[in-house]
Amino acid sequence: MRISICSKKAGLDSLVDERFGRSENFTIIDLDTDIVETIENTAKNDPSGAGGEAVRLLSKYKVDVAVVPHLGPKAEKAMEAFEIKTISQGDYKIVGEILEAYKAGKLKEIVKIKGLTRL
Amino acid sequence: MKIAVLSGKGGTGKTTVTSNFAVNIKNSISIDSDVEEPNLHIFMDMKKPAFKPVYTLYPSIDENLCNLCGRCGEFCNYHAIIPAKNQVIVFSESCHDCGGCKLVCPNGAITYKKREIGQIFSGRSKYDTELHYGLLNIGEMSGVKIIDQLKQSTDSDENIIFIDSPPGTSCATVAAVEDADYAVIVSEPTPFGVSDMKMVVEMLRQMKIPFGLIINKAGLGDEEIYHYCRDENIEILGEIPFDKRIAELYAHGKIFSISLPEYKNLFTDIYKNIIEERRSL
Ligand code: SF4
Ligand code: SF4
Repeated sequence: MRISICSKKAGLDSLVDERFGRSENFTIIDLDTDIVETIENTAKNDPSGAGGEAVRLLSKYKVDVAVVPHLGPKAEKAMEAFEIKTISQGDYKIVGEILEAYKAGKLKEIVKIKGLTRL
Repeated sequence: MKIAVLSGKGGTGKTTVTSNFAVNIKNSISIDSDVEEPNLHIFMDMKKPAFKPVYTLYPSIDENLCNLCGRCGEFCNYHAIIPAKNQVIVFSESCHDCGGCKLVCPNGAITYKKREIGQIFSGRSKYDTELHYGLLNIGEMSGVKIIDQLKQSTDSDENIIFIDSPPGTSCATVAAVEDADYAVIVSEPTPFGVSDMKMVVEMLRQMKIPFGLIINKAGLGDEEIYHYCRDENIEILGEIPFDKRIAELYAHGKIFSISLPEYKNLFTDIYKNIIEERRSL
């Protein structure tokens, strides 16, 4: 199981990023091995379609669950097509806190209700 | 000859200038390429225009032929087509209709569907001049295609064509002025007017399009614009004075040089200056 968190810098001490497609980095944690790696979001400066491209990047790194601030409609469609589950990062500010909250089952899944995104 | 009329921001008098050119310069054709907010036709009193739809194409995938090889997604610069786990997703609004993904698909899985993005209206004004304008459908992101087709539909060497361009320096502005022989910047003599104008000057210099300036509402504001033009060696083609009656006529959708005889020669004189300028290049 691999989970990604939008992060400003590298590692678990980093602040989270508030924009998914334009997120500086993604910190990816492999929950089976506890290995943490941070990848640069190469889509962040793309003039168009950054959201969809960022999802493709996560899929390349075999992410199963993406913790996100909120998602635009394109990124949402891409998450579905790449079969990545999305979870709201809520009000947490630090990557490590989000990881703990996720493990404790405190984060809410983003569910789609008739085309609207509800957190 | 194509003459583009542009400005650093909206509301500086582009439409005033274009409409006055249109009625004063014989045999001219005018084009409003501000497809998000066309308004030239209102001033020109256009009678019953003919319209035709403008389409753009976007890819559609035959799932039976696609093996999710990924090439279309690698090719597309706009991330408009993304091969995912079990399907290829297409964001039709992001597609620039370049036709490339079909070329790189090894399995012939891509065909194109068309979608209407707006219309082009063509006809004659109350002043018996030819006029064309485009209108981008609400929610569409780019009017460049409509602008290109607008210019194609009026490609003639015999006429003087005035192109009312979208404000600023966006892709749409570039598309509108791209093949112009000369550009006219309209600006107001205020500090904001000068700073908005600088971007346009930069753009035109990069595009290597010769240009001059028309100062609108001359007499309002300060001297900065004159100093700037002198320092930058920019020709002032003419000035439209700040006159309450002009503003009033504008508010009523009227062309001021028709109603106010003292301005009758203003635009033919400016036009002569443009021809002089072009000749001296
Ligand atoms: S036609 Fe061009 S822009 Fe449109 S999806 Fe294909 S490659 Fe991308
Ligand atoms: S290039 Fe063709 S076969 Fe490959 S993923 Fe795209 S549509 Fe499918």
